[in-house]
Amino acid sequence: MKFFHSVRWRLQLWHGLLLVLALAGFGFTAWELQRANQLGRVDRELEQRMGIIEGAMRPRKAPADNTPPPPDKLRLTPREQDLFDGMPGQIFYYIVWLGGGTKGTTSASAPVGVPRPERMPGPPAFRSRGTFRECFHDTPDGDCVLVGRDIGDELVGSLRAAWLLAGAGAAVLVLGLAGGRWIAARALRPIADISATAAMISNGELGQRIRPTDSESELGQLSRDLNNTFARLQAAFARQAQFTADASHELRTPVAVILTQTQSALARERPAAEYRESLDACQRAAQRMRGLIEALLLLARFDSKETPESLERCDLSRIATESVELLEPLANEKGIAVSVETTPAHCMGNAGQLAQAVSNIVGNAIQHNRPGGSVRVAVHAEAGGAILSVTDTGRGILPEDLPHIFERFYRAEKSRAGGQGHSGLGLAITQAIVDAHGGKIDVTSKPGEGSTFVLRLRSEIPFDRAPHLGQSKSL
Amino acid sequence: MRILLIEDEADLLSSLAKALREEGYAVDTAADGEEGLYKAWEVAYDAIVLDVMLPRKDGWEVLRHLRESKKTPVLMLTARDAARDRVRGLDAGADDYLVKPFDLKELFARLRAIIRRAVGQTLNVIEIGNVSIDTAARRVTLSGSPVALTAREYCLLEFLAMHRGETVTRTALYEHLFDEDDDSLSNLLDVHVSNLRKKLGRELIATRRGHGYSIG
Repeated sequence: MKFFHSVRWRLQLWHGLLLVLALAGFGFTAWELQRANQLGRVDRELEQRMGIIEGAMRPRKAPADNTPPPPDKLRLTPREQDLFDGMPGQIFYYIVWLGGGTKGTTSASAPVGVPRPERMPGPPAFRSRGTFRECFHDTPDGDCVLVGRDIGDELVGSLRAAWLLAGAGAAVLVLGLAGGRWIAARALRPIADISATAAMISNGELGQRIRPTDSESELGQLSRDLNNTFARLQAAFARQAQFTADASHELRTPVAVILTQTQSALARERPAAEYRESLDACQRAAQRMRGLIEALLLLARFDSKETPESLERCDLSRIATESVELLEPLANEKGIAVSVETTPAHCMGNAGQLAQAVSNIVGNAIQHNRPGGSVRVAVHAEAGGAILSVTDTGRGILPEDLPHIFERFYRAEKSRAGGQGHSGLGLAITQAIVDAHGGKIDVTSKPGEGSTFVLRLRSEIPFDRAPHLGQSKSL
Repeated sequence: MRILLIEDEADLLSSLAKALREEGYAVDTAADGEEGLYKAWEVAYDAIVLDVMLPRKDGWEVLRHLRESKKTPVLMLTARDAARDRVRGLDAGADDYLVKPFDLKELFARLRAIIRRAVGQTLNVIEIGNVSIDTAARRVTLSGSPVALTAREYCLLEFLAMHRGETVTRTALYEHLFDEDDDSLSNLLDVHVSNLRKKLGRELIATRRGHGYSIG
């Protein structure tokens, strides 16, 4: 069954069928033409001889003696007679029926039992009778002249020609089928390639690619498109794998703290203060894990197409002021002066999520600042939306780190230094929130002088954007 | 045995240092790569526990710089468990590799193993005459009966036994038995040696005057 469903075999079957039809059509036409040609030649010969017979039947001169014409009207010269009776194996013959219906003259070569044709006035007519071809003519006198010829040899020749044509046709058919098979195999080879590659990819070899063929053909285009798709899928898988590896990596350290602390504490009897110390360390580790898990869940929610909660018109200046107030204790602890200057600026969004985005940026500005530094938060309305800028006096971001700071788990400083709440996900979450709101976040930085984050949000979320809220850029 | 612990996670560093000290090791600590590398160059540690993710210089860099001049056994600690990371660690000159989170017992066992290998020992139990030292259980027996030793006495005995046949200088003993926070007086060493002789027999530890001590 599979055999007949294969595209290649179906192609070949149709190709073969068409080839047979074309060959049969041409062969039959050629054979017919050849036969008609041959018959036409025979007919012309018969007509010529008919002319001779009829010529011989006309009185050569008017009978002067007024005697009735002899029953045999035909007077052929010996040379003319030779055309019919002269040699052995003569194939031409003639028969003349006189007006009265009686048979007049017959050449010696005539076969026996030739029936008289139906009366048919007009020009000479032709008929085929077995292996004979005959031309007959009813003369105005009421006589009927028939000239015939044995065409047995021609019929045999025609049969031979038919066989020859059939043989040649068969040979062409075989060649055509072989050529078709080759072409089909060649045309379908890229498909076999594609299918083999796809099979390998489905087996997990994501790095496989289809071998590039001639790039101009449709299959070449398909291969290119598929290769691009495969590359994007592979990159997405790699990102996902990296993300999972990073997440588990981030969880390993606090778990290591808890294991070490508890195993060490339980190894022997200890004073209560040491147990308290261990429990404190375990609590810090657990809180770090909780922060990380919450951040991961939040990102996962942005990654899945869960739409965020209600969107409403909110005042970005109020959100910023409240966020800064919540971060006041951290700023005081670090000795950072935070100034806020706002004018009412409205945008569409989820106030809770926007507050998180803003506090992530401001929190970073406080955390990464120099001792005694400052953070300036400004919010203004601009055409079509609101703009928030956060400027710090920290150590800034190196140019090579700048393109990566919004990536998940990216840390300019290659360590977990700082501990508290530094999962490496803060800016990634901020980016996800801003993306979901159709906004934009930019950063400029001068190493040693500080960084400025600029967040732009729209006052109207484009209609087509709303259903995609919560969709992430990665995957 | 003196160990350098390089780890930036403060809670992990303090608890590991405490647990290792309780195991009888002298422990120095460093919270970043640069400090760690500086100490590793300055002091002849018996082993280094090195975290991979470190500020200022990561574990790979510390290991690379250290291996330019030192053969100190290194146990890498890391949160990455991909095979290629392990291969990279071992190829870069680490002696062993432990993935976080780990069990303290396993960390201790691996530390013992790399220290043992570094001095050419293959077994946990060292037999010297009728004295037997089980380095895993930290137990000493004299003719089959257990002998109670203080932690310091045990460490001294273990170190001398590990370097059996060599003369160990007093400086080396100070370097390997006391960490940077210890302010033990030099005569304490003589007190420990004399206590060991009392407990295990006078002829066990020989004094090479002007040089140090040795176990035959």
